[in-house]
Amino acid sequence: MSEDHSARIGAIHRELHSHLPSAPELRVKALESLLVEKGLLDPNTVDAWIAVYTEQIGPKRGADVVARAWTDPAFRNRLLADGTAGIIELGFEGWAGGHLRVVPNTPAVHNLVVCTLCSCYPHAVLGIPPNWYKTAAYRSRAVRDPRGVIAEFGDAIPDNVEVRVWDSTAEVRYLVLPERPSGTEDWDVARLAGLVTRNSLIGTERDLGRLVGTG
Amino acid sequence: MDGIHDLGGRQGYGPIDVNEPPEPFHAPWEARLFGITRAFTRPAIFSIDLFRYVRECIDPAEYLSRDYYDQWLLAYAVLMVDAEAVTVEELATGKAAKAIQNISPPMTPANVATLTKAMSRFDRDSDTGPAFAPGDQVKTISFGSCGHTRLPQYARGREGQIESFRGVHILPDTNMAGDGPAQPLYTVSFLAADLWPEAAGRKDHVYLDLWESYLEHA
Repeated sequence: MSEDHSARIGAIHRELHSHLPSAPELRVKALESLLVEKGLLDPNTVDAWIAVYTEQIGPKRGADVVARAWTDPAFRNRLLADGTAGIIELGFEGWAGGHLRVVPNTPAVHNLVVCTLCSCYPHAVLGIPPNWYKTAAYRSRAVRDPRGVIAEFGDAIPDNVEVRVWDSTAEVRYLVLPERPSGTEDWDVARLAGLVTRNSLIGTERDLGRLVGTG
Repeated sequence: MDGIHDLGGRQGYGPIDVNEPPEPFHAPWEARLFGITRAFTRPAIFSIDLFRYVRECIDPAEYLSRDYYDQWLLAYAVLMVDAEAVTVEELATGKAAKAIQNISPPMTPANVATLTKAMSRFDRDSDTGPAFAPGDQVKTISFGSCGHTRLPQYARGREGQIESFRGVHILPDTNMAGDGPAQPLYTVSFLAADLWPEAAGRKDHVYLDLWESYLEHA
């Protein structure tokens, strides 16, 4: 971007700051009214997108991917070789899924995903990111103090386990494949999927075994 | 740009809200804004990298304190004013002073099911082979750029190792118009101890996806 264009972007930011309505609700309302009046937006389509990302596309998809990988070794291999091809097999293709890489936890390795520069997230399989994922606290600490972050969420990573932090700086998106807890050998795919939490797919949780006794 | 958004490794931001409620949106206006951004007709090309750059240009104090979706609102508002599709006055009042000519009808609810399956790809066909191979030792460049870039400050001037070649991807630094030139992209692993003094003695790693022009042979 040219210096002139950068200066113009900064000037527009400052002008908006002093003119837009003071409450976010009012800013959004004004934006929606304006876009509808300009012929750029159908408000019913806004409702449809909210419904899709509230009811249909969310971490349940990621949990289904993991349960399938736990029970189908051939699928697991395809998923690890090409995450995007893997989620297409399950009909989960979508937003930010075009370059998906699935990183497996093992007894010796724990994976954690962050985007330090903005908020990159594999929406197609996890839906809307939690707010904490987008905060300065998580983005600043995940790359520097991953063990402390995971401890804050309630899991301790043993010293002999290597932590791998994936900072999503390009358009590659990351999904953690957690380890299958012991005691689930005779569980079917649906029951296994019920064990998999959103946080385990980001990597802020490691041990899914605590739910086995009650599952 | 060396902006407030480049947060990796910064200190003093406190604990994480680990007890956040599980619902995807925490206020009706957040959901509304999200839905608007998926549904509205772009009056000009708003590439992902241009959008990110405009968000990075939010005043630093505002960047840290404004709600996330409010930042999206600001970024799209700036992009639309910059494209001369709307004015600041129109955004302030919610009333159109001037119509936009020759636009197609907006997205309908019937389009949504298909569009949820849309998947952008950022790699491009190229005759240029990668300069680095997995296992090569590399060093990142020391300087960022004044515009948009995706090499975080914490990983500048550091030695790492090529973990994998990811294909030839559009370079964000020159992608404001949406289809800028592409370059080989690599996943590069850094020993955490080479980035952070307190990680000394650990075998932990940090992985970043970095374009060829961000790298030199070590």
